[in-house]
Amino acid sequence: MLRYEFKVCHREWIIGSLWRKNSEGYTPSLPSREGKKESEIEVTKVGFLVRLDHLLRLNTLGLLTDPTIHISGLTKKYGNLTALDAVNFSVSKGGISGIIGPNGAGKTTLIKSIVGSLRPTSGSVSVLGLSPLKNKSALRQRIGYMPQDSALYEDLSARENIRFFGRAHNIRHLEEKITRIIAFTELTGRENEAVHNFSGGMIKRVSLACALIHDPEVIILDEPTAAVDPRLRQRSWEMFRQLAQRGVTLLISTHLMDEASLCDRITILRNGRVLVADTPQAILERGRSKMIVKKASTITEESIGSRPEDLAGALHRFGLDPSVDSVTIQCEGLEEIVLSLINREEA
Amino acid sequence: MRHALTVGQRVLTQLRKDRRYLILSLIAPLVIIYFLNILLQEMPAPVRVRYATPICAFIVHFLSFVLCALILVQERMRGTLNRMFVNGFSKSAIISGYVIGYFGLATLQAVAALAETIWLFNLDFTTEVYVYLFLVIWLLAIVSVMLGIFASTFARHEGHVLPFIPLIILPSMFLSGMLVDASELPRWAELLGQLMPLYYANNIIQELIQPSYDVGSVVWNFAVLAGYIALLLLLAARTLRDTE
Repeated sequence: MLRYEFKVCHREWIIGSLWRKNSEGYTPSLPSREGKKESEIEVTKVGFLVRLDHLLRLNTLGLLTDPTIHISGLTKKYGNLTALDAVNFSVSKGGISGIIGPNGAGKTTLIKSIVGSLRPTSGSVSVLGLSPLKNKSALRQRIGYMPQDSALYEDLSARENIRFFGRAHNIRHLEEKITRIIAFTELTGRENEAVHNFSGGMIKRVSLACALIHDPEVIILDEPTAAVDPRLRQRSWEMFRQLAQRGVTLLISTHLMDEASLCDRITILRNGRVLVADTPQAILERGRSKMIVKKASTITEESIGSRPEDLAGALHRFGLDPSVDSVTIQCEGLEEIVLSLINREEA
Repeated sequence: MRHALTVGQRVLTQLRKDRRYLILSLIAPLVIIYFLNILLQEMPAPVRVRYATPICAFIVHFLSFVLCALILVQERMRGTLNRMFVNGFSKSAIISGYVIGYFGLATLQAVAALAETIWLFNLDFTTEVYVYLFLVIWLLAIVSVMLGIFASTFARHEGHVLPFIPLIILPSMFLSGMLVDASELPRWAELLGQLMPLYYANNIIQELIQPSYDVGSVVWNFAVLAGYIALLLLLAARTLRDTE
């Protein structure tokens, strides 16, 4: 258990102290500096100094609270193939966390380890403070899982599928709950049809309804929008956002980079390793931008950082020069940034 | 127990809705028994009686095994088995649920196959014998369901079920005493046959079709069939994996 205390000591800097709970109660501790820039956090003997904007980012990343999902040194090997290689990963309470990566990056292996259907070669997984392998029955009442495949009984109707998986949990007024969840997933009117009559998008919605029926605290969705048309994909993300607003923690895997920006925080996996884990905004700021200034028939191109202050600094040099005709900023997208991170790693 | 009933109810609903599967599993034994009747039509009555009921039992045994194993392998392939585990259904609840679900199908199969055999082969036994014959075929069907669940734990796709047919089911046809008395087989083959549930089912049937049958002499065989059910239930519970 962690407890942070903060005092504002400057308009940008905050002094904080970290209290870690052990058998003797709360004792003062120091936060880990791993992965943090010198300019963002300064650990001192009395506590630590942290910049306000970084504090907000740490909060979004869930580093100030006990994580809902915590993975430490997770490795899974299939013979000579290493599907996950010492993965460290945390998901804080609430919001949408994305696991992004190409096919074969290890997303499904990671998700199966989290839901307890895969025994890792080494490392540990904790969900809501429970082990998915040792505390199966306690945990399975609190998590919802939507697998990559439909994993439904196609001869049964949508309602029968939802009822079947709902009966695994102790749900009061199950039928009313099913009706509500059918309405939420927009299946009303077709809930009594056999699933084999449904389109791919509708099957995904039935699968989502089965994962939501017991009001889980954590919902883990493996590629929920794969092979779904753009309109339904947009609607699915609206549903995910509604759930997050209700305080549910969502962990969503996807291979679509454009969905990364819809998450509150993302972890990019490649070849079973975490390439980067941060907020989409922080990752975007790692990219480079190109500023093209047209001035009196001459064109100047300049590579600048992607943070607002980088742009401000670059523009400042031009002042209010009336001869500037136009300024065009071309920013790297997430996909390009991730590709350059991959190239850098491979180099 | 609640979870087992939920799984059993779902299996029954699926069976009810999957007309093709239901018709195949009920009609196929009847068609085979019809062909068997044509094959044995010119044989003397004692020979027809000697083969009719054991072969009827074998057909139910074969179909119950194959259909149950295939359905469970499909559960694994489609991810529903894994989803059941993640939703909190335990291994024992899933296995018991399948037994409950197929219990109904096995009963229907046993009743339909036996009724047709009695009708086509003009079998004339006492009511007590009919009840015992039904009981033995029904027990064998339950053993087959358990064997199917057990075999499915070794299969990753439907094709993996096929090797179990020549490995388990077909040898039992030759070594169980159904076609040739087990005592006429080489000693090693007779011992091998005694490992197969059909051996004990055939022992019971051969005794019951005698005019002066003695149920007491085959009680042990009933006990062995019940023991097979318990043993396979334990084996299936041990081998069914809830984690990869």
